[in-house]
Amino acid sequence: MVLDRKKVACSLQVGGKFLPQVEEFKYLGVLFTREIVVNEVNFVRKCISAESSQDDLWGKLICTNFKVSFIPQDAPTKQKSKLSHLLLGEHDIPLTCLEQVVTVNDTKGKKKVLGSNQKLKFNPTELILYCKDLRIIRFCFDEAGPESAKKVCLAIAHYSHPADLQLLFGFEYQGRRYHEFKGEQVNGSSPRGGLQTPIFDRPSDWDREIKRTGASEWRVCSINEGYAISQSLPEYVVVPVSLADQDLKKYSIFFTDQRIPLWCWNHPNGSALVRMTSINDPLQQKKIDQRIFTAITKSHPQRSEVIKSDLDKCLPTILDIQCAFVKIRQICVIDPFEESEERWLTSIENSRWLEYVRAFLKQSAETVYLLDGKNASVILQEEEDRDLCCVVSSLVQLMLDPHYRSLIGFQGLVQKEWVMAGHRFLDRCNHLKKNDKVESPLFILFLDCVWQMMNQYPAAFEFTEAYLTVLSDSMWIPLFSTFLFNSPKQRAQHLMDFAKNKAIPQGEDQVVFFPPVWNWSQQFSTKDQTLFNNPMYVGKGAACVQNGEVKSFRRTKKNYSSTLRGTPSSMRNGLRGGEETLPRRGSLMSELKPDFSVVKDESPSERFFRDWFSRPADQQGVLIPLLIPSHVVLWKLFFLRWVPEACIHKGGPVTAYHKLSQLVDEIELLQIHLRRYKGPSPCSTPLPSPSGPPSDQRRMYFKASSPNDPPTPPEYLTSSFPFTPVGNLCRRSIHGTPISKFLNGARIWLSTETLANDTV
Amino acid sequence: MEKQAGAAGAADGAGPNRKPWGSPTSGPAAGDSLDSPTGSHVEWCKQLIAATISSQISGTVPPDIGNRDIKAGRRPDFLQDSQDEMHCYHGEGDSEHPSNASNLPALRYGAQVRMAQNQVPLLPGETIQTTVEDVMYICPFSGLVNGTLTITDYKLYFTSVERESPFILDVNLGVISRLETISVSNQGENTKGLELVCKDMRSPRFAYKTEKSHLDVVEVLAKHAFPLSHSLPLFAFLYKEQFPVDGWKVYDPVAEYRRQGLPNESWTISKMNSTYELCDTYPSILVIPTNITDEDIKRVAVFRAKHRIPVLSWIHPESQATIVRCSQPLVGPSDRRCKEDERFLQIIMDANAQSHKLTIFDARQSSVAVTNKAKDGGFESESFYPNVELNFLEIPNIHVMRESLRKMKDVVYPTIDEAHWHSAIDLTHWLEYIRLLLAGAAKIADKLESGKTSVVVHCSDGWDRTAQLTSLAMLMLDSHYRTLRGFQVLVEKEWISFGHKFAARVGHGDENHANSERSPLFVQFIDCVWQMTRQFPAAFEFNELFLITVLDHLYSCLFGTFLYNSEQERTAKEVQPKTMSLWSYINSQPEDFTNPFYVDYEHHVLYPLVSSRHLELWSSYYARWNPRMRPQVPVHQTLKELLILRAELQRRVEELQREASSHSLSSSSEHSTSPSHTTGTPLHSVV
Repeated sequence: MVLDRKKVACSLQVGGKFLPQVEEFKYLGVLFTREIVVNEVNFVRKCISAESSQDDLWGKLICTNFKVSFIPQDAPTKQKSKLSHLLLGEHDIPLTCLEQVVTVNDTKGKKKVLGSNQKLKFNPTELILYCKDLRIIRFCFDEAGPESAKKVCLAIAHYSHPADLQLLFGFEYQGRRYHEFKGEQVNGSSPRGGLQTPIFDRPSDWDREIKRTGASEWRVCSINEGYAISQSLPEYVVVPVSLADQDLKKYSIFFTDQRIPLWCWNHPNGSALVRMTSINDPLQQKKIDQRIFTAITKSHPQRSEVIKSDLDKCLPTILDIQCAFVKIRQICVIDPFEESEERWLTSIENSRWLEYVRAFLKQSAETVYLLDGKNASVILQEEEDRDLCCVVSSLVQLMLDPHYRSLIGFQGLVQKEWVMAGHRFLDRCNHLKKNDKVESPLFILFLDCVWQMMNQYPAAFEFTEAYLTVLSDSMWIPLFSTFLFNSPKQRAQHLMDFAKNKAIPQGEDQVVFFPPVWNWSQQFSTKDQTLFNNPMYVGKGAACVQNGEVKSFRRTKKNYSSTLRGTPSSMRNGLRGGEETLPRRGSLMSELKPDFSVVKDESPSERFFRDWFSRPADQQGVLIPLLIPSHVVLWKLFFLRWVPEACIHKGGPVTAYHKLSQLVDEIELLQIHLRRYKGPSPCSTPLPSPSGPPSDQRRMYFKASSPNDPPTPPEYLTSSFPFTPVGNLCRRSIHGTPISKFLNGARIWLSTETLANDTV
Repeated sequence: MEKQAGAAGAADGAGPNRKPWGSPTSGPAAGDSLDSPTGSHVEWCKQLIAATISSQISGTVPPDIGNRDIKAGRRPDFLQDSQDEMHCYHGEGDSEHPSNASNLPALRYGAQVRMAQNQVPLLPGETIQTTVEDVMYICPFSGLVNGTLTITDYKLYFTSVERESPFILDVNLGVISRLETISVSNQGENTKGLELVCKDMRSPRFAYKTEKSHLDVVEVLAKHAFPLSHSLPLFAFLYKEQFPVDGWKVYDPVAEYRRQGLPNESWTISKMNSTYELCDTYPSILVIPTNITDEDIKRVAVFRAKHRIPVLSWIHPESQATIVRCSQPLVGPSDRRCKEDERFLQIIMDANAQSHKLTIFDARQSSVAVTNKAKDGGFESESFYPNVELNFLEIPNIHVMRESLRKMKDVVYPTIDEAHWHSAIDLTHWLEYIRLLLAGAAKIADKLESGKTSVVVHCSDGWDRTAQLTSLAMLMLDSHYRTLRGFQVLVEKEWISFGHKFAARVGHGDENHANSERSPLFVQFIDCVWQMTRQFPAAFEFNELFLITVLDHLYSCLFGTFLYNSEQERTAKEVQPKTMSLWSYINSQPEDFTNPFYVDYEHHVLYPLVSSRHLELWSSYYARWNPRMRPQVPVHQTLKELLILRAELQRRVEELQREASSHSLSSSSEHSTSPSHTTGTPLHSVV
């Protein structure tokens, strides 16, 4: 069954609006045009609840070259509480999202984890799919033909281990999409499809960043054009003006993979953040270090010192991180719920995941001290500069520069410090399932760190935890270029071959023919995308719109330029015209009374942090996370969203989000009214969020309540919102165990009536 | 603590016309302001400040009062420029918007503070007992602080001006559990060390020279910290405050039962216990079945421990299923029966037409219930009580809870072991017991709501675990109890009137700290409530500050609310005429204790998720004295700002509408429809 999905694919590109037939096709099973059904089996039962089989769905299980799809016989009841994905149905799992394919034969008591090209000596009665997004999906074959069931299982296992990157469905999909979409492309529209996220694949993106941060003593260098020097660096990098291309070429041979030091960011005080590999030749190390240090010092307006911090020495390795993630996943979703309830906190501690989150936050906070408090430039050094450095450099920038806490800023940061800096997404995600030893969830660790900061400073980020979670899920959908490659060079090569194969004209922009994940209308409707907007951030921005009218309330973007040392404000001009310069907390130290000393033997960094924490946090200024263990907590939405037993009905943080969103929506409506009364005026036009839709569109998911619409959060809200555990986590071992058993000695706590009501 | 906390608040709340209320007194203490990165936002300040009432009143101190030292005098000003290192809060640029003042309304009610010569703020009725110079406060975070210690009949007040910013530690005496001498040999001869072990999870330490003091510090402290052991009155009887609202009027049992639809044909409001003859630990007004004679009730009373007969606590508005509470039946080793008791439960069952069953929840561990038979107690036998189902909730006793919280103190004070924080919490089992309690209450609520079955709840005496379970179940079932006033009623009713032995469990004014009757059962209950507010952030009208304030005054002996063990004792001691109610204070400034997220989940039964995954250590209460435990920026702070903005915008829209309508009728009619849509929103706002 191959349905042509041409219309659908087109409508998605228009964004926002999609045709009614998509909805219908969803449960019929929609295949993309080039998607091929490899195998299918009928009369399969998808397990919905571990408690009983009464809610289970019957239908057809299909394996294609893109996904595992289950098509229920009956039309599903529409679930209001779910984010609906435009490219994937409710029961679809992309093959790249599969972690483990396990077949079970109940009667024989056999179980086998299937790999590529394997044989299966028994007829499976069950198929359990462990997914990288932490779902566990279970199918039973009690009524299905045993041979076809076996074939489908083998096909799923085989196709989830692609031999080659080009076999990932994204290549088929984007090739087709390009040609279908092309006809509709209006000439003269912006070549990158209106995408505002800087990709950092061209000098202009770097130039803008240099200007924005006032890094006047740094320049864009193009010696790596065509990847002539390093295989893993981007074509354009930023270097100190005092280093000539010739010197850089000369030095490059001493660095791992010829990665010359990479500029990340400049503090308004002139200090720079630089990342660098280790130097191979111990004899040359000192000399090269010296040269690099001197050059960086020269680029600092005060010629401040340069401090090198060796991340390999003070942070867990990528293997440690993988190991911690495996453990915490085990505790959160795989272990039977009741068992893991016992000594829960101890198990979390033993996984060490939170300890590592703290370690990265701490390392980053200390770097913030060096840059902001000590006014020194910092080199982050790591053997290859492609893993730990990505996490630390991006966290440091998030802490210091509020620009990166906007949606576009954050996406640009990921482009700059991860994608372009050559983080090995292909290996770390293990998309090809070739080598488990290189797999490591560094990007997820980074997202968790961001979440911790968001949790501590709820108004500081433009985006929400739902956004971070959706972003993490997108890693496992192989349709976007962002998470598929190990380096910009690898991307360029693959996309060149791809363009050739798909007859895409030379010179066409990669970002157009194989778009990154940042174009969210590929995946979600405009309405669903509003779940990414943080009402607290947007609300304050809204207040900003009325600046001058509502004087009592404005975003606290103070200009600290008078206290900034050294950098004339003109150098810090914004990247967008009229945008404020970076708000800075600035030189706090100089304002302190010299005799102010409280703690004996306090180090300057301790003093810096104590001083920072003693002040109210300016959420639009420098942010330093609290690192004590009581304040670094489990990211529940990410780790527990699929766990039905952990789902709070009618509760969870979303109920507060609901109220805030309604309030902000109401504020925006009031502002529209005000503007209407006042007529057009200069202060009514600009909206603070460049990513947001035009001002006449509402930016909140939950609209202001009306008299017909009671203020109580809707019944369907749960702590898992906008995700739903229904059918997404079905552990095998617990058959017929009521949720209740976990209580010490106590037998049941909710009667079956309540449970029945809740599972709907 | 710290002056800074109070002072910070002052800066915030100080509008042009408002006197700063923080300066001369302190917040409660906490951490030592001098030491460390600690808290700085409004809520936190408020919480700390609320910890002692003295801080709340300081607002009325005239800033120009005579012979104040320079530092104290200029404090409100320098706060504005962020000089002071701790607890100072400016919010996000709130210094710029005057409306922000309403974020932190001064706590108005609380008295004219008299300032004694030495800058100690005093409550009305409070007198200084002694002042000792040259005392060292041994701060666990920043070392020694030298200063002056003043002891009044209500508090201990330590000030130091030796450092850049003044340091104040203010501990009310009621919170002191015991006084211990400690070794301070390194401080030289004639120096004594003193540790105040407190009920609220801290233990400040001092060192002082013995020769310098006329009166022995320990003696004075002991006398006023434990007045009952020294034949002195509790401070609540000396406190002379005028509040505009009378908190004693919050709870009227007849009105509360009327709200529940009582009396009805099956249940009656009885005055049988009006002289406390039937049961001396029960309130005078009880709800009992209509169809039972006084004689039968008296026989039931004999069969129930401490004569605590089954009485109605709550009735389901639709199904008429009830929560009935009592004590254990005195079945004893020989399995005694009481046919009146059996009939009594039958009548309770029959009063609910929806179900032909009755469920008894015995809070105890089943093994303990069995052991109790040997002590003449026991539990209902299912064979003697037809259609009755007995469930044990397996909750350990008060001694286990006391020990658990003691362990918790070691985990959170004075320092925490970062590497083993989580496992250390697990080892206290505190959260496990919270889980058991919430699970038990959820079972009770579910039995009523889904099973439409009446329940009888008891433990041994029916005043500890029973109160915890019934009040938590009622909080889940009845949205009225989730309001600020409703919660006060719940506490007054299920805890205070039904004879939770507050005096014995807390040990007000009593020096016998080792008394095995003491146990933090009420703290545990408030913790459970807090866990529910975390899971349902929009369902409760009160906020965290309210819960912390309630707990602080559980110990402080400033208000009469939690004094004594029973209604009878309180009547005898004339608590109502002679003391203030905590609710007078709370309800005189309810906006401070209101949750801005609140939306009324009317008719919603809310079951908290009883899983370790969602239970958290309430570190902003237990660990608040640790300066590194600064709480996170609360979301509701932003919400309050947004509410202010909305109010401002609404005002402007209305203004413009009026203008427009006066200018041109046609244009106003054009616009009039849409704004009404937005302004009519029922979002609950406290601005």
